Amino acid sequence: MASTPPLPVQNTLLDPYSPSIRHSYFAPVSPLFNAYDRFALWRADLGLPHPGTVENLQKETKSTHLSNFIFDGGRADLTKSLSMSPLFQVTHSFALGSQTAPPSYNFGAIFGSPQVFLQGGVDHDGNVSGRFNYGWTSSTVTKLQAQLSSQAGHNMIQLEHDYQGQDFSLNGKAMNPSPTDGTGIYVGSYLQSITKNIALGFESIYQRQTPDVSEVSTSYLAKITGNDKNWIATAQTQGLGILQATYWHKLSEKVEVAAELQVIAMPMRREAITTIGAKYDLRLATFRAQLDSTGKVSALLEQRFTPTFAFLISGEIDHFKNAAKVGVGVMIESSSLTPEEMGMPPQS
Amino acid sequence: MPSEETKERIVKVVEIGRTVLHYGWIPLIIYVGFTRSNPQPSLIKLISPLA
Repeated sequence: MASTPPLPVQNTLLDPYSPSIRHSYFAPVSPLFNAYDRFALWRADLGLPHPGTVENLQKETKSTHLSNFIFDGGRADLTKSLSMSPLFQVTHSFALGSQTAPPSYNFGAIFGSPQVFLQGGVDHDGNVSGRFNYGWTSSTVTKLQAQLSSQAGHNMIQLEHDYQGQDFSLNGKAMNPSPTDGTGIYVGSYLQSITKNIALGFESIYQRQTPDVSEVSTSYLAKITGNDKNWIATAQTQGLGILQATYWHKLSEKVEVAAELQVIAMPMRREAITTIGAKYDLRLATFRAQLDSTGKVSALLEQRFTPTFAFLISGEIDHFKNAAKVGVGVMIESSSLTPEEMGMPPQS
Repeated sequence: MPSEETKERIVKVVEIGRTVLHYGWIPLIIYVGFTRSNPQPSLIKLISPLA
């Protein structure tokens, strides 16, 4: 009969800071912990960069293109900063004369400290939207998002938890979860750096509209970043044959270009849309121009006359439908703070 | 599985919570911002778009 080697129980008791065995309760699984420690060390040695989050996969492209910024009709935003640290500002926004949306007024408030972020908005109909972010540590954030309306069926609440690892990011979301029958939409996503330039990930959506019907769909993501981070290419499949690919390139300090391709290849519907755009960041102005394969040409100019006053003008021509949109807006920022309180160098 | 009564109670609590959030969210942010701001602003500046 082979004698088993004595377990190093004495040692663990004498040395409570032994890295592998901290508590004797865990002694039976310590090989697992050892293996995990070694794996974590090996992983840290690879020196992989953080891949960014799944939500921000196409962030650079989206901020270069003007689809998210374009508006039509007249618009005025009055922002008032009441405190810089912690951040506290209120916004009054007015919109008028749009072809698609009725005139609206919106009041917004933002409060942000390093740990907590609160944002709320209310429009003239009394619909409230809100966001609450709480950072447990610098890498772990819980987010809550809600849209509340007095009409039934227009309410939305979303719970989200975000974890940023050294070389991966992990996110879980629950939209309109019902505590009684478990219905709702649940999303989980994971993005992992594979090499210094390549990151791969997936996003799974579990939909449960009624307690009996549930559906899972998974989309796959890939992101390639240039060596000096001046270009990024991403691709994303979405179940049912939708592919989205983007490419973003920073040509110089002031010029960024981006292209986006969306392919829909479903049995019923086959189409593809390409969008190319450029963004110029000048000293007191930002100019974006965009052209897409549905025949739309659009441009947006944001001109800052003084640091607190900006003038926006946007236009879009749809050549295939012979339609046009024009928008004019002003953004005024006022502050009750002195420049020193805002953290700016004193002006002579 | 919770009983029907418990379910009804949960639905009621969620509904009340939703209403509280609907009417209380903006005042909460303004209260938190107003009390934590540095320096503390005056109320009129907070509310009026022109001041």
